[in-house]
Amino acid sequence: MNMHPALSVQGSGAKQLRDMGSGAMSSSFPVFASSLDDRYSKYPDSFQVSSGREPVTNSISTQASALASNGNIDGRLLTPSPGFPNDPHGRLPQNSPFISQSSTDGASFPPNHSSHQDLQSTVLMNQYEGSQDIPPWCTATLQDILDFPDNIPVQTGQVEGATGVITSEDHTRRNDWQWADGLISELDPDWNDLPDVNVIDPISEIHQQPPVPSAEFRSVANTLSTAPPAKSRMRWTPELHEAFVEAVNKLGGSEHATPKGVKNLMNVEGLTIYHVKSHLQKYRTARHKPESSSEGTSEKKFTSIEEAKSADIKTSMGITEALRLQMELQKRLHEQLEIQKKLQLQIEQQGQYLQKMFETHKKIEDGKSKTSTSALGDPSVPLSNAIADVKAETLKLDQPKAGIGASNANPTPEEGFWDISQEQRAHEPGDGESNASPTKRARTDQTGNIID
Amino acid sequence: MKFGKRLKQQIQETLPGWRDQFLSYKELKKLVRSISSAPTLLNGSFEYGRAEEEFVYLLNNEIEKFNAFFMEQEEDFVIRNKELQQRIQRVIGKWGPNGNHPSEADYKEEMAKIRKDIVDFHGEMVLLVNYSNVNYTGLAKILKKYDKRTGGLLRLPFIQKVLQQPFFTTDLISKLVKQCESTIDAVFPVEDEERTREAREAIIVAGEGIFRNTVAALQSMQEIRRGSSTYGHFSLPPLNLPDSELIQSVQLNSPIPTV
Repeated sequence: MNMHPALSVQGSGAKQLRDMGSGAMSSSFPVFASSLDDRYSKYPDSFQVSSGREPVTNSISTQASALASNGNIDGRLLTPSPGFPNDPHGRLPQNSPFISQSSTDGASFPPNHSSHQDLQSTVLMNQYEGSQDIPPWCTATLQDILDFPDNIPVQTGQVEGATGVITSEDHTRRNDWQWADGLISELDPDWNDLPDVNVIDPISEIHQQPPVPSAEFRSVANTLSTAPPAKSRMRWTPELHEAFVEAVNKLGGSEHATPKGVKNLMNVEGLTIYHVKSHLQKYRTARHKPESSSEGTSEKKFTSIEEAKSADIKTSMGITEALRLQMELQKRLHEQLEIQKKLQLQIEQQGQYLQKMFETHKKIEDGKSKTSTSALGDPSVPLSNAIADVKAETLKLDQPKAGIGASNANPTPEEGFWDISQEQRAHEPGDGESNASPTKRARTDQTGNIID
Repeated sequence: MKFGKRLKQQIQETLPGWRDQFLSYKELKKLVRSISSAPTLLNGSFEYGRAEEEFVYLLNNEIEKFNAFFMEQEEDFVIRNKELQQRIQRVIGKWGPNGNHPSEADYKEEMAKIRKDIVDFHGEMVLLVNYSNVNYTGLAKILKKYDKRTGGLLRLPFIQKVLQQPFFTTDLISKLVKQCESTIDAVFPVEDEERTREAREAIIVAGEGIFRNTVAALQSMQEIRRGSSTYGHFSLPPLNLPDSELIQSVQLNSPIPTV
């Protein structure tokens, strides 16, 4: 398989890295390893469906859909795997030198390479905002590639020859496949070799586009829908379904419409005939057997047993009341789920925010020479500016009223930052945030026993 | 450990087709445990980092699984939603007061069926949101354990990615859920008094699959958030369920053995 050459290359590269004399930790390399796997299997799909989302205005995710396109199913994912854990030793310690630095730095993320730091924060910002700042990121990674020329004996030609190409390529894919790799992959320059292996199809596409399209990156991804293999996933929205139904009706109804006809009529980019086919099938089933169609036979059996029993209950309670009760509970659950989700998002947001604070501060600290500055008390202008920037970028979600008390609870150095940032925010013409902060603090007390 | 048990219980109560779609929490925990807690570079060792590797690999697989299942269900819901709406329109158009053949009896009969279907539909969607949530929680927890074990920093970036996954972005489903609620309110109007009274009745229910699952989910949620020995930056505050007596009052019998 194509994968192995890439791996062996990285193996040799890794040895060089290791010889650079850093310590080693195991923590993150497996991410590399498996994300390698995923990346490899996902790669041809990565541009698949994002285009299919374009006509549909769903603000959730142009990215999510791109990710959805990677929702490749078991077949692809598992095939490369067997070879994986059995690969000879050379491959194993690859990332460790790199990652170790990040790990041993304690709470702070980036290793000593400042370029990596840039990479880090840029990528964090990218992830967060959803809009891309491609050039700095891409340049950084390219730098990394070129910094380790010995790593890439085989690949160099391709890498250098297709610089801009790989860049935009990589970035697209990066956004398509963020979760598998995380930032850890960015820390590893070898990572960028991988595209070369799989670059066959999309690269021909990319040549048609101007290199490194920044704002247009999404359109790059969208137009790259040649030769898509069968198994990517489409995320169906009501709007898309509407279009589907219209098309079907135009073609004479669910019985007479053919997948091909529907697909052409819908004219949605990235929509393959397989998507339409499976959707049509579901549609047909749903029409013929309303309301029990999508469950399958085993579930039907289950529900009928249950129903027999509950029928007694229902007659005694009155069906209406039973339904109302059921509805009530369901509503309740949903409410709570929504709240919980908001909280979870907020927690992670703040975690990210704290992280950035650390990094930013570290950067500043490193920037200043040995003059001793206390981390907490320094009212340096660059720090507050940095905080303002970081804050503006990370905290864009609306802050719901439910507060996160926990983050205020622990007396750690991080809280020092937190305090400063709170002050800063209070002074700033926030996006409603200066209002949120006091609310949050108040909440801590109300929710009470979070602090032990 | 508590979460593991809670998860197991929810899986037990869940709709049959969903049973193996949940997070393999136990397996992941085993992997975390098998990671040596004092990582040293063992030159040439075959086993080095194998558990970590497997862990991440499994994690990715799980996420794949969630995404696939979630989107499949979502697609079904989108279709069913439309069908329900159309069905309602048809019934109103045919047997409703302003319809082609106004007939109160037929109208009521059909509407009763539709009502049940809407409620079940609503319930399933909520359960899907719950599915998403439970799995997310599990992921967050297991990542925390992993980081603790390896001193690593997998958690933060990984969770960021998870947040963007299809299975976590449940906005569409929530929207459909709310749509259901308003549809039901529109088509089956009810006085407020009646509603609150019924909601408070203490009932023993041998309920339907969906109902049981909902109750189990609510109970789980309450317990998970009751209190933990490991509160940290990333812990959720305790759950304050209004009318928590309602939940308590609904007791589930032992599960019906299914095929």
